[in-house]
Amino acid sequence: MNRRLLLTCVALVATLALGVTAAIAGTVRGGSDPGITDTSILLGGTAPLTGPASQYASVARGADAYFRYLNATKGGINGRKISYKYADDAYNPAQSVPVTRQLVEQDKVFAVFNSLGTAHNIAVRPYLNAMKVPQLFVASGATTWGRDYGQYPYTIGFQPSYQAEGWVYGKYLARTASGARVAVLFQNDDYGKDLLGGLKRGLQRSKVRVIAAEPYEVTSPDVASQIAKLKASGADTLAIFATPTFAIQAYQFANKLGWKPKHVINNAVASASTSMQIASSAGQNKLVNGTISIQFLKDPTDPKWKNDAAMKLYRSIMKKHAPSANVADPLHVYGMASAWTAADALKKGGKNLTRESLRKTLDTFTATGNPFMLPGIAVRTAGKDHYPVEQMLLQKWQNNSWNSFGGLWGYRAS
Amino acid sequence: MSRATLKTLAVFAVLTVVVFALPSFVNDFRAQQFAYVGVYLVALIGLNILTGYTGQISLGHGAFMAIGGYTTVILMVDHGVKDIATIPFAIIVAGVAGILFGLPAARLSGLYLALATFAIAVATPAVIKKFEGFTGGGSGLNLFGTPELTASLTPVKIIGFELNFNNWLYYLSWTIALLGYVLAWLILRGRTGRAFRAVRDSETAAVSSGISLTRTKVLAFGISAAYAGAAGALFAIATTFVNPDTFPVALSIFLLVGIVVSGLGSLKGLIAGAIFIQFMPLWAQNVSKSPGAPAVVYGIVLILLILVLPGGVSGLISRVQQLVRRS
Amino acid sequence: MAAFFQQIVSGLASGAIYGALALAIVLIHRATGVINFAQGEMAMFSTYIAWTLTTNHGFSYWPAFAITLAVSFLGGVGIHQAVIWPVERGPQIRVVIITIGLLLLLNGLASWIWSGEVRAVQSPFPAGTIDVGGVAIAWSDIGTIAVCLASVLILSAFFRFTKVGLAMRAAAVNPSEARLVGVRVPWMLGLGWGLAAVLGAIAGMLTAPNVFLDPNMMQAVLIYAFAAAVLGGIDSPIGAVVGGLILGVGLNLLGTYVDFVGAELKLPAALLVILIVLLLRPAGLFGKPVVKKV
Repeated sequence: MNRRLLLTCVALVATLALGVTAAIAGTVRGGSDPGITDTSILLGGTAPLTGPASQYASVARGADAYFRYLNATKGGINGRKISYKYADDAYNPAQSVPVTRQLVEQDKVFAVFNSLGTAHNIAVRPYLNAMKVPQLFVASGATTWGRDYGQYPYTIGFQPSYQAEGWVYGKYLARTASGARVAVLFQNDDYGKDLLGGLKRGLQRSKVRVIAAEPYEVTSPDVASQIAKLKASGADTLAIFATPTFAIQAYQFANKLGWKPKHVINNAVASASTSMQIASSAGQNKLVNGTISIQFLKDPTDPKWKNDAAMKLYRSIMKKHAPSANVADPLHVYGMASAWTAADALKKGGKNLTRESLRKTLDTFTATGNPFMLPGIAVRTAGKDHYPVEQMLLQKWQNNSWNSFGGLWGYRAS
Repeated sequence: MSRATLKTLAVFAVLTVVVFALPSFVNDFRAQQFAYVGVYLVALIGLNILTGYTGQISLGHGAFMAIGGYTTVILMVDHGVKDIATIPFAIIVAGVAGILFGLPAARLSGLYLALATFAIAVATPAVIKKFEGFTGGGSGLNLFGTPELTASLTPVKIIGFELNFNNWLYYLSWTIALLGYVLAWLILRGRTGRAFRAVRDSETAAVSSGISLTRTKVLAFGISAAYAGAAGALFAIATTFVNPDTFPVALSIFLLVGIVVSGLGSLKGLIAGAIFIQFMPLWAQNVSKSPGAPAVVYGIVLILLILVLPGGVSGLISRVQQLVRRS
Repeated sequence: MAAFFQQIVSGLASGAIYGALALAIVLIHRATGVINFAQGEMAMFSTYIAWTLTTNHGFSYWPAFAITLAVSFLGGVGIHQAVIWPVERGPQIRVVIITIGLLLLLNGLASWIWSGEVRAVQSPFPAGTIDVGGVAIAWSDIGTIAVCLASVLILSAFFRFTKVGLAMRAAAVNPSEARLVGVRVPWMLGLGWGLAAVLGAIAGMLTAPNVFLDPNMMQAVLIYAFAAAVLGGIDSPIGAVVGGLILGVGLNLLGTYVDFVGAELKLPAALLVILIVLLLRPAGLFGKPVVKKV
């Protein structure tokens, strides 16, 4: 009886499956690219609006504010107004995939832009490339965007790769701190490992050695144990390759242990002025002073840019188009710098812009004078080099603000 | 056949028609969202067998989904097995894992079991990450565009009918969900189901009527994990990607939320639970996009549902049925 | 050798935090027989109240501390009366889901009100360190451990020697009989939630100066607190604190000296502790084994 029932049901399901699928005709789309008309361009992206990484949502908000400003004051790009639809993936790659597919298939975006996170973008990369949808200016410093360009030509990164950043720290230490012994705290994922790998590459053939490297997991409550272990290694230099909360903790715990490394390096992700000010606990933590980091954007809290035209513009855009957001958050500047570059690329794509022509535009691309980036830094791709931003400045934390020094550092990955 | 059975069959037939006709009425992308509803439904059926029918709280079903999902992806990527062909393996591997976990866990009761299963859910991502060579570590494994993944690049032809990727996912997950539904119904109405309920209602009474507590609980764990394995396999296929973060603790928690919203110990409301899991976060986001606001909406709705609908959606359906009968 | 002892000191400091939150979990389990998944978020929320009082409203540390404890107490009682009491007599799983709803709600509310940015929180203890044979011991760590131990002593005394404490135990162990002897059961259980919220607030305020405050600050701590509570015995206040300290030290040593575990498998190692303890001795190290009535 039971088996017969089962068979009946299976048969029922199978018949219906066939019957109904007959009613569904495969739809074929034709004509010009979706998401673009003579008066509009639709871009889309994913961002962590909720969940543990929600502070990074500012990257999308900053970009959105810039596009709104462009539409309001310049009528968009080449007469096309830009809409930027960013949707939440809760920083879970399993959600980035359906959300991105929704942007492409339902909202019909012209291109995906500024989606945040390494795994999150890796997860949708084969899909977007198969659909020939440009995956513009991925908000992640993983090396894979530039490295695997041959396999995924529609994907392009933006910021200096973590590897390049680590390399600059390595070169800097090799030149200025001969004989130093380096202890590294790194996040146990591609981001931390790329930075560490870059550092070691920069230190090759130098008298500086990495003598201890301790990973931590994002799921751990603190890094107290790691810092104690790094101190015990006898290192005189501390490199922090961690996200803001853990980087701030690293300063705190090192200070508590009375550890006074001669040099401290803190990576760009964690080195916003606001984070550094918190880490310094109103000047009580002396360790924070003299920290070295890199920068390629203008820092909104840096007094040096107080009267800078671009940063004035930044503040006015934020006031008008993102009034509730925190202007001091440099991630907004990141978003605007990225949006500025996207607008520039769309402009250079011309009146007959297609997804394909946009890809070709970005194949050999040079954009100088991005007002939100430090003077002299260019966005450039050519030939096999698909790392858009490879220049950066070193900066030192002194008197409660970052002070850049030296000339531009350039890194050639290829 | 009894009248009740006939009635159930009739309801099921209508449900099947609705399910299979749905893609003709909704757009392509909705079909994909509803494919996920089917995936969650498979997991909820399994979890309800364990928690609703046998009374064993599991806060760790995301872990069994992860086992199923990784089984599928590893077989596809490393061994060139076609996606559908991996599903039986995912079911078996997860089922065996469920039995192995159930053996010691059968000794735990109530909240202790909740904590033990929660521990499994929390530990899973870290363990997956540790065995990088096998699982691809944090960067994960990608399926899209591989020849093993059906319909991802070109529509698939099934006996002459063309299905694009979204519709293919939809029919795949719902076929399995409906089969799983029938299977669960058959299991639960028989002797096994009676043993499950006996253990839930009173362990003492169950033992005195000759039911082996350990065997019953372990069986429930195995069946339930097997369902989770199938759901994990479907989830991985639909998402075309796995990494440790695709099976977070939140997934386990939301599955439990799903069966409580649909109603414990009843198969009636499960689709509502699956819809809740899939659409509630999206809906909460539409209410407000300010940071934190969607979580607030979700939390409030969840608490209200528990307070207002003690028996979940199943309880609501039963009450409506009673009202109809009385009038 | 100094490195070894340094790890122990650092483990004790972390362990005291796990213990303090575990204490709150134990209290609620004793009061209402459930596990409160929102305990960490309640602690985080309380810490935000303290932070906003000192940073935005000009309070100095101790008044802010006292107000925070009072608000947390009322909040705990309020949560119990509003959403826990109505479902308490139903299946446990519904209470579990309610606490999960509270977890989401409080976490979202905190990001909504105070944004997700990292905040610095004042410490009540002096900033310096003392050096004992090459091992650096921060005053704040000594303070944290002392506060945690003091809390458990006060709590034990309260349960053992005060009328209210005894009534609370009675209400939790046998509500119907307690009602017969005149104990107002719902209020006693609510009192348990209130006290748990106070302990959570203390845990949050002790941990925030070191790990810094953001809406997810207590999520990782909560999992370790669960492990600590299970290890010590989910009904034993002393056990919770001792469990926390053992866990803190044990995990530091495992992470430092066992290469396979490292930082990566610290969390699974803690969870393995939960599983093993649950299987071998469900009542934990300090709990009294309950005779199962079959």
